[in-house]
Amino acid sequence: MIGPLVKNGIISDGVNTLFAVLIGMLFGYALQRSGFTNSKKIAGAFYMKDVDVPVVMFTAITTASIGLWGLSLLGLIDLGKFYFLPSYLLPMVVGGLIFGVGMAMGGFCPGTSIAAMVTGKIDAMVFVGGFLLGSLLFGDLYPLWDKFYNSGANGVWRIDQLFNINVGFAILLVALLAVFGSLGMRKLQYKFWGKND
Amino acid sequence: MKKKLWDPVFGGVVIGISIILTFYVAGRGLGASGALTAFAATIQNILSPSVTQSSQYFSKYFANGANPLDDYLVYLIIGVMIGSFIAGMISKDMKLEVLKGPNISNKGRLWYALAGGILVGYAARMARGCTSGQALVGGAELSVGAWAFMFSIFAGGFAVAYFIRRQWI
Repeated sequence: MIGPLVKNGIISDGVNTLFAVLIGMLFGYALQRSGFTNSKKIAGAFYMKDVDVPVVMFTAITTASIGLWGLSLLGLIDLGKFYFLPSYLLPMVVGGLIFGVGMAMGGFCPGTSIAAMVTGKIDAMVFVGGFLLGSLLFGDLYPLWDKFYNSGANGVWRIDQLFNINVGFAILLVALLAVFGSLGMRKLQYKFWGKND
Repeated sequence: MKKKLWDPVFGGVVIGISIILTFYVAGRGLGASGALTAFAATIQNILSPSVTQSSQYFSKYFANGANPLDDYLVYLIIGVMIGSFIAGMISKDMKLEVLKGPNISNKGRLWYALAGGILVGYAARMARGCTSGQALVGGAELSVGAWAFMFSIFAGGFAVAYFIRRQWI
């Protein structure tokens, strides 16, 4: 069965929706079991007090990157039928900076706040309320940032294209960054906060 | 007693596999912020349809009678809630509580949570996604914008961490 299953007509839209719920369950289960329903743990990343968040992120990206590329090499998925995210460099940098400030203050990102909300974390419920307000603010006052939001449309723009290297080599670089980034940050955590915190 | 957490590398691999699965099945990535914004737009459309209809950004959500809640990401997020709830039950981490550092009141922590949520809600729309849909999925796709977004998140967080340390440490 060659993926994407729904675009290749192997499964119906209804079955795809069922799978969306099931995959979401796996994702939510993993978020909770990784400790990401705890705002203190998430914010700890910004003090190098608990670097599990960046380690999980690095590992997830590397796993998905190698997996998707590997499956396409094996002919099990058709990359041509994927939806790839376009790059808008400047809005993404500015959005990222504001996002980071909000994440350090709020102790959550959207996915983790949803996962935490259902396990009774009151700060997560308030964060979700804030998120709804913030996205309404963006959408209702959209003409104010319409131009900036659509500036620098770079289309689908990948690291291998940026550095003019082979895709496999780019994934190797990502994997190396993940391994050494994770080890380096863990080392800093132990240095600043000790091993038993 | 609460169950011990997963090793972060194991957790990362499982989250990575869930990203591979959405691509294998649906040909697209996962995400969290899209569903929340669809929910916000729907509530606003019920309370004040005129504001929504006159919004250049949100009117598209309801064009031709569309229902923004009938969306892949919304079903995915329903799954996230079920999955996290099950995990919370199994690991006995299911309690109404406010998590924070020792040097701030519950009320103070909730004001920070509200302010942080507003900023993240705004920023996720500006960046066309959040840590899930943009940073993880885009990162795996090797998207330059996604990697820039991710490094910017950490830059923003580290920049402000010192000033709000009372809340966490």
